[in-house]
Amino acid sequence: MKIAISGKGGSGKTTISATLTRILARRGLPVLAIDGDPNPNLIQALGLGPGVEAEAVPRSVVERREDEAGQARHVLTTTIEDIVSQYGLKAPDGVTVLVGTRVDHAGAG
Amino acid sequence: MRSIVGEIVSNSKEVTVMDMEASIEHMSRGTVRYVDALLVVLEPYYRSMETAGRTVPLARALGIQHIYGIANKLRSPEDGEAVAAYCRNHDLELIAKIPFDDSVVEADRTGRAVIDYDVTAPIVEELSRVADFLLREIKINGNGAGGN
Ligand SMILES: Nc1ncnc2c1ncn2[C@@H]1O[C@H](COP(=O)(O)OP(=O)(O)OP(=O)(O)O)[C@@H](O)[C@H]1O
Ligand SMILES: [Mg+2]
Repeated sequence: MKIAISGKGGSGKTTISATLTRILARRGLPVLAIDGDPNPNLIQALGLGPGVEAEAVPRSVVERREDEAGQARHVLTTTIEDIVSQYGLKAPDGVTVLVGTRVDHAGAG
Repeated sequence: MRSIVGEIVSNSKEVTVMDMEASIEHMSRGTVRYVDALLVVLEPYYRSMETAGRTVPLARALGIQHIYGIANKLRSPEDGEAVAAYCRNHDLELIAKIPFDDSVVEADRTGRAVIDYDVTAPIVEELSRVADFLLREIKINGNGAGGN
């Protein structure tokens, strides 16, 4: 189950993401929370005290490749398990949190 | 960042919750391709609801299967009715009405998670119902529009 939360600036996306994440984790599910906001503050909302910072997942974990049809697409250069263990932070209730990097407009999308 | 986050989401084998940036232009196919559900947060004022309203057709075009509205920071029954009416008119299923909750403000002030500050807070109770709903509607091992 993969859920994204959107909405206008300041509407409560981060508060809702964090709280829903913790609730799902308390149901015994393994939950990965991803901060896709260039101004990350999901970590604090999840309950990791002030001052805790995550190393953002760097761009180098994806690579642009062309498939047989010449279509460009992005693929991971390493396994998801490696990314989670290298960049993931442990939050309460067994939640893992990853922080995306800032938007790089070149070639993004 | 879009493609990084998108690839991580698509490869994740766990239940995944993604906190997105505000502007819907960033909701590119690369980021949300593998998302099963998009929760759109609406505050009870025009610009917030309009932002949500613009998101819905975009999300449908991207092939996201489940799109739900969540009303937040409601201060009165009229607030709730305004968001409900907007959602009805924009073909968006409203699954939660979260009141303006002082626990959120207090928790934020002390840098804590609201669920740690007060597990009985209205926002926690309402989002528990959302969790029940999502677990009923969506397969735990599902993998979004572009998955499989
Ligand atoms: N139900 C609520 N009751 C009271 N205050 C709330 C509620 N939900 C969110 N807030 C407050 O609104 C502000 C914005 O919340 P939050 O950071 O979760 O929004 P956001 O959509 O992630 O913002 P941004 O677009 O800046 O990332 C915060 O000060 C938060 O404490
Ligand atoms: Mg936020």
